[in-house]
Amino acid sequence: MNDYEEDALRLQLRGLRRDIEPQADLWPSIEQRIAQAPRESSRARGRGVRRLLPWALAASFLLALGFTWRMNLAPEPQPLIRQHAMVMAQDYRSALQQLDQAPIHPEIKPALDDLDHSAAQILSALDDHPEARFLLDQLRRTYARRLELTQRAVIT
Amino acid sequence: MLNAAMSDLMTDTTTAEVAAESDAGLARRAASGDSGAFESLYRRHAGRVHGVITRLVGAHCVRAEDLTQEAFVRAWQALPKFRFESAVSTWLHRLAVTTALMELRTRRSGPRFDDGEDALDELGTPDSAGSGTALGMDLERAVATLPPRARAVLVLHDVEGWKHEEIAATLEMAVGSSKAQLHRARHLLRARLGGEA
Repeated sequence: MNDYEEDALRLQLRGLRRDIEPQADLWPSIEQRIAQAPRESSRARGRGVRRLLPWALAASFLLALGFTWRMNLAPEPQPLIRQHAMVMAQDYRSALQQLDQAPIHPEIKPALDDLDHSAAQILSALDDHPEARFLLDQLRRTYARRLELTQRAVIT
Repeated sequence: MLNAAMSDLMTDTTTAEVAAESDAGLARRAASGDSGAFESLYRRHAGRVHGVITRLVGAHCVRAEDLTQEAFVRAWQALPKFRFESAVSTWLHRLAVTTALMELRTRRSGPRFDDGEDALDELGTPDSAGSGTALGMDLERAVATLPPRARAVLVLHDVEGWKHEEIAATLEMAVGSSKAQLHRARHLLRARLGGEA
């Protein structure tokens, strides 16, 4: 077999890389098995909930603003949650900087300050508990509320 | 425009977003116990996972389906520890390869991949019985008739595009052995296809 034929064979081999659907639907069996399959991190998640509860209580003042407190504690990797929070914070700050240049009504200013304070608290909590997804969700809601109030203040 | 972009970040997940949800989003939900999200991952990736397993085990349909099922069960168990440092599809693909290779290892008794030159080869495959020298067989079938170890190296290198270092680490063999196995696999493949042996 010459070089040309060798190359042709390798190209043909690369062409074998294709999806092959199972002949039968395997999901029902998989679903049955995973219902019984132990997952290694279940105990760790339980410990995480207990450890993070004080932070959840500390941030509960957000409830007064009508936010939904969602305790979603998916075990995401620590760096990812925190990185996500940093990117989100940067995005919101950039957006708010543009809006904050407009004059803000004095009656709304305290609420904005409260929300800034709570965002700072949540970011601080994320430093200590970078695995806490619910803090990321709270941060998103806090910034969303801050943005909404700022927009309203600018419009009025 | 800015407001619209920001509101995208804020709004809750809609039905359309669920349909277009990323693998990472589904994996996160599955990691927290959402079997519906895991089913979506299965539906998206079953073909790719089953494809590589089928190639590695030599087109044994029933075995490949058992291993595909096993790979997804392992994925479900391992997801809480998945660190999202690679794409979910890449992670699933590697998990599929590992599952298939573990099965190949457990099917042979005796030395590791790197030891005993023909320990795995002697296993043979149903596909190769009586058909190993057939001329004109299609390429896919010819690959399936290769001895398991040679086939694994050939599939991972020439089909899946892995490097010898990755193959050697996964198969627990020396890099030189991986290269030697590839050379041997190509030689056997040419013979299977009726070319110069």
